[in-house]
Amino acid sequence: MTTLLRLWSFYARRTTRWPGVAAAIPFIALIASWAIVAESAIFPRAFFPGPLEVVRSFGSLVYKGILPDYLEDSVVRLAVGAAAGTALGIPLGLWLGMSPRAYSALWPVLLFFQAIGDIAWLPILLIWFGFGLATMTFVIVYTVLFPVVLNTVLGVRSVPIDLHRAALSLGASRARILWEVVVPGALPNIVTGLRNGLGYGWRALIAAEIIVGTSGIGFLMFDARRAGSVVEILLGMIILGLLWSVVDGWVLVPIERATGQRWGLIAR
Amino acid sequence: MARQVRSPRAGIAFVAPLFVLVLLWAGVVRAFGVDPRIFPGVLDVARAGLDSIRDGSLVMHAAASLLRVAVGTALAILASVPLGVAMGVSPAVSSFLAPLFRFFSVLAGIAWIPIATLWFGYGFGAITFVIFNAVFFVVTYNTLLGVASIPLPLRHAAASLGARRWTMLTEVLLPGALPNIVTGIRTGLGFAWRGLIAAEMIATNVGLGYMLFLARDFYRTEVIVFGMVVIGVLWLLLDRLLLAPLERATIERWGLVRA
Repeated sequence: MTTLLRLWSFYARRTTRWPGVAAAIPFIALIASWAIVAESAIFPRAFFPGPLEVVRSFGSLVYKGILPDYLEDSVVRLAVGAAAGTALGIPLGLWLGMSPRAYSALWPVLLFFQAIGDIAWLPILLIWFGFGLATMTFVIVYTVLFPVVLNTVLGVRSVPIDLHRAALSLGASRARILWEVVVPGALPNIVTGLRNGLGYGWRALIAAEIIVGTSGIGFLMFDARRAGSVVEILLGMIILGLLWSVVDGWVLVPIERATGQRWGLIAR
Repeated sequence: MARQVRSPRAGIAFVAPLFVLVLLWAGVVRAFGVDPRIFPGVLDVARAGLDSIRDGSLVMHAAASLLRVAVGTALAILASVPLGVAMGVSPAVSSFLAPLFRFFSVLAGIAWIPIATLWFGYGFGAITFVIFNAVFFVVTYNTLLGVASIPLPLRHAAASLGARRWTMLTEVLLPGALPNIVTGIRTGLGFAWRGLIAAEMIATNVGLGYMLFLARDFYRTEVIVFGMVVIGVLWLLLDRLLLAPLERATIERWGLVRA
C-alpha cells in the first residue's frame, strides 16, 4: 500500500510540474493494458490485435505511401468543405440575425434542414453527383453550414440593442455597425459554431468516405473491414482520434478561448 | 435555441415557412419539368409516403431504428452515469481518466462502424453498439465534469451533517451533476442519430437509413425524399419535445443560467 501511495505521489508531483505528462500517461497505461489483453489471447488474435501489430501496419502503410495519400485526401476534403461552409454560413447568419423578418421566415426551415442531418442526404446526392468528390464536399459543407449559421444568429441576437442604438446615435452607418458592433459581438458564438460544425463535419466525412468509398481514412477503414483486417481498422481509428485531438486542441480550442477571453467572457 | 412554441399563433408562424417551402418546391418542379429521377414532385412523395404507411414498411423501418436508438441509449446511460459519478468523486482518478474519455468521445459513433460490423456481424448488434458508443463516452465525460464541478464545501457539508455514501450519492452527487448529464445525453444522442443513419446504410436490412439506401438502388427519389422528411421530423420531435424541454427544466430547476 505504501509503495502504491509513494508511486501515486510521485505521479501527482510530476504531473503538476509538467501538465503534458498528465495527458500522456493515461494513454501509456491504456496501451499497456491493451497489449496485456491482446497477449493473453482472451479474444482471437485476428479480432483483437496488439499495439505492436498496429504500429507495424502503420509503418508498412506509410512506406507504401497509402496512408499519407489518404490522410491528405481526408484533410483536404474537410478543409475545403469547412471553408466553403463557413464562407456561406457567417454572412447568412449575420443576415438572419439582423433582419427579424428573414429570421421568422427562415428559422423554422433552417431547423428542419438541420434535423434531416448530413448523412441522410447521401443517397440522393449519390443519384445527383455519383460516387465522387462533389458528393462528399456537399455533405461536409451542409454539415458545417448549420452549426455556423445557428450559432451566428444566436450571437448576433445576443448583442444588446443598446449597443446598436449607441453606435447609431454616434452617427455610425449601417456598414460600420455591422463591422464594428455586430460581427465582433457575435464572434465568440461564431467560433463555437465553427468548432461544433467541424466536429460534426469530421464525422460526416468518415461516413461519406465509408459509403462513397474512393479514398480517405474512412475508406481505408472500410476497405480493411472488407478484407477482415482489424489491425488497419484500429490504425484508422487511432489516426482519426489523434488528428481530431490535434485540430481541436491546438487550433480550435485556443481560438475559442482567445476570443472568449478577449471579449471578457468566461472561458469554459 | 428556438423560441418555445406555446400559443397557436406561434405554432402557425413556425409551420407557415415550411408550408411556403413545400409550395415553392411544387411550383419549381412543375414549372421546370424536373425529371422525377432527379427530384420528385410533392404529390409523388406524398404517394410514396402513403404507400409505405399502407404496406406497413414505414412503421417497420421507423420502429427498428427507434428501437435500436432506445436500446443503445438506455444501455449507455445505465453504464455511463455510475461510471462517470465514480470517476468524478475522486479528483485523482478523474484527472487520470479524463484525457482518455476526451479522446474516445472524439471517436464516438461513426468511426466505430467498421470494427463494430466485424465484431458483431451485420445487424442489430453492430448498430446498437455504435449508438451505445456515441452516447456512452459523451455522457461519461459530461457526468465526470458535472460531479467534478460540485463545490467541495457542499460535499463536506453533507458529510459533516452525517450523510452516508448512499445519501451523498442520491442527494448531492447525482442532483449536482444532473444538468451536465442531461446535456451530455442530448449531445450524445445527436451523434448517435447520425451514426444510426450511417450504420443502417452500411450494415443492416431494416431501418430508415436502409430504406433510403435501398431506394437509391432503384432510383426512387420520391422514397428517398420521403425518408429524409421522416428522419428530419423524427429528430425534431425527439429533440424539441423530449430532450430540449428536459434540459431546460433541469437547468432552470437548478437555477443555472444557460451560458
